[in-house]
Amino acid sequence: MVWATEWWKTTKQASSVWRLTRLYTALLLLVVSVLLVVLYQLSIGQMSRQQSLQMDGFIMQQTQLSEQLSSSEFIKQFKNQSENSRQYILSYQTNSDLIGRLNAIPKNITTCPTLTRFPIWLDKYNELRLVSGCLQTLKEGAFVVAIDDEYLYTLKAQFISASIIALLLALLLGVITGVVFSVRVLKRINHINQAVSRVQSGQLSARIEVSKYDDEYDYMALHINTMLTQLEHSFETIAGITDAIAHDLRTPLGHLRQQIESEITEKSQQNLPTEQLQNMLEKLDEILFTFSAMLELTRLQQQKEQKIQHFKQLDLQKIIVDAVDLIEPLAEQKNQVLSIESLQSVLVKGDATLLFRVLYNLLENASKYAGEGAQIKVKMISSGFCISDNGPGISDSEKEKVFQRLYRIEKSRQIAGFGLGLTLVKAVVQLHDGQIQLLDNQPGLIVKVEF
Amino acid sequence: MRILVIEDNQTTSQYLEKALQEQGYEVDLADNGQDGLFLALEGDYQLIVLDRMLPKLDGLSVLSTLRNAGKQMPVLILSALDSVSERVKGLREGGDDYLTKPFALSELLIRIEILIQRTGGANDNTKNILQVADLKMDLLSHKVFRGLTEITLQPKEFKLLRYLMEHSGQVLSRSLLFEAVWDYQFDPQTNVIDVHMARLRKKVEFDGLSPLLETVRGMGYRMVENN
Repeated sequence: MVWATEWWKTTKQASSVWRLTRLYTALLLLVVSVLLVVLYQLSIGQMSRQQSLQMDGFIMQQTQLSEQLSSSEFIKQFKNQSENSRQYILSYQTNSDLIGRLNAIPKNITTCPTLTRFPIWLDKYNELRLVSGCLQTLKEGAFVVAIDDEYLYTLKAQFISASIIALLLALLLGVITGVVFSVRVLKRINHINQAVSRVQSGQLSARIEVSKYDDEYDYMALHINTMLTQLEHSFETIAGITDAIAHDLRTPLGHLRQQIESEITEKSQQNLPTEQLQNMLEKLDEILFTFSAMLELTRLQQQKEQKIQHFKQLDLQKIIVDAVDLIEPLAEQKNQVLSIESLQSVLVKGDATLLFRVLYNLLENASKYAGEGAQIKVKMISSGFCISDNGPGISDSEKEKVFQRLYRIEKSRQIAGFGLGLTLVKAVVQLHDGQIQLLDNQPGLIVKVEF
Repeated sequence: MRILVIEDNQTTSQYLEKALQEQGYEVDLADNGQDGLFLALEGDYQLIVLDRMLPKLDGLSVLSTLRNAGKQMPVLILSALDSVSERVKGLREGGDDYLTKPFALSELLIRIEILIQRTGGANDNTKNILQVADLKMDLLSHKVFRGLTEITLQPKEFKLLRYLMEHSGQVLSRSLLFEAVWDYQFDPQTNVIDVHMARLRKKVEFDGLSPLLETVRGMGYRMVENN
């Protein structure tokens, strides 16, 4: 049963396979139904049509006879018919008496050619049987003609139950074929989906398994694999170029830094002003910092597997307390209240320094952008934490953009920053297979991080 | 005091040589791993500055060979590879400190001084009381006194003050202070350490008492010399 519900869930998700199964089953049912109808018409239908045709003929014959013969002649003829007919059960009601097999004209009997079913005792079978008959009114009375068609009804009933069984079997066949088909198709599609989602999460080396069937799924898998190989190659090339640029630029910039530094030492020994050189040094450090941060981001996004190897079991609580300790005086300078709520142990497998930087960046952002006197709260939840403030918040249209490299919100441009902090936060959270969400605190921002 | 610098980049090694000589050290240079290892094994050096990536023999191999040969002088690793795992690798092989390129020359000098002082035994770890001028710190009871007045410090402030007192007279850079007190390896890049120092200063230099903590422009902080 568990298996069945599981199948149902996945089939419902994979709507294309489900639609196909439905269509297939409906077509199967339609074909079986048409076949059954045709079969019915050719056998039982034909028989009952013939029977009613004969009966109509007989009724017509008797009506004509009653018009042509005298009353006594007709009664004689009718008696003869009634006694000798194997097929029909007959009775003639005149004004005075009732001739024939019936003891009484059944109530509610319809006039011909509409037939009514009524019970009658038959000596031949020594039992009460249901017969079909009708009442035909003549000049001087009326006669009942009935036929023992119980065998036809039994046949009909049998045919109907056989048809129901056939339809159920068809339905079952449809569902079973659908299940088998969808399980097989889904399994293969799932292989593809799993590989693609691994690639999405940054594992560019993931590939789709190719089966031995050599069918269209295998062709698709091969195509996607080839595409991924090319993509991976391009990424490596880009990473190589970035690293080359980084190395080539960082070295001369580092030398420039050393030059300025020794210049400052020399000047200060001679008691000359070093103000301008100090400013140059600060600007240079900003460039170097931006450069290092971008390189680091590239590495974080690319070398996921390598980083995961160094992950350890950590308690988020300690990291949160450390980060709050570090930021607290900054908040105090701006008269902000920084508090921790529901402190609890939350274990995460990860890199302590990287996670600390996530908290540090988020808390620093909160302090930097929430404004004078803001309330900043860190709340621990069972699988992570929320950081909320009552500052200006971030508009919905910018919530995704703030995670992009070097993106800065227009109105906050006058506040110092590089637009790399949140990008790094997101990269680190993704490295830890976590999720980050920006929500409205009305007013303010809530950053929710879950692992 | 002799220092060996193993660095293949000419410009960097010349700057290092000049800066270290200005500080009064004698400096030997090697521009590849093989020569560096030979010099390190033969000569008597107080400290080695070792580049991570070198021609002929890479930095980590030099380091492990050195340690296997029983040489215990402090080694400061320089590297363009800035990641925690790289740092861990370097320290695990027997490195004593790790500095990422490009680095500030002042930062390097500060760290070299700390490393030499550590091995020189000037820092007596068995002491339970630290004292600088009239500032006293009891490491057992975690109490701090300025003269007769007790100063209440938060745990991180205590750690910060302790580190400054243990290295009194030395210039300590912001990143060094951050690493020592918070124990996470990255450069916070903002004035956050300055804010912590300002707070500590307010607690230690109250009521117009003589200043104990100096700001050294462009380098960091220094606690006055212990006499």
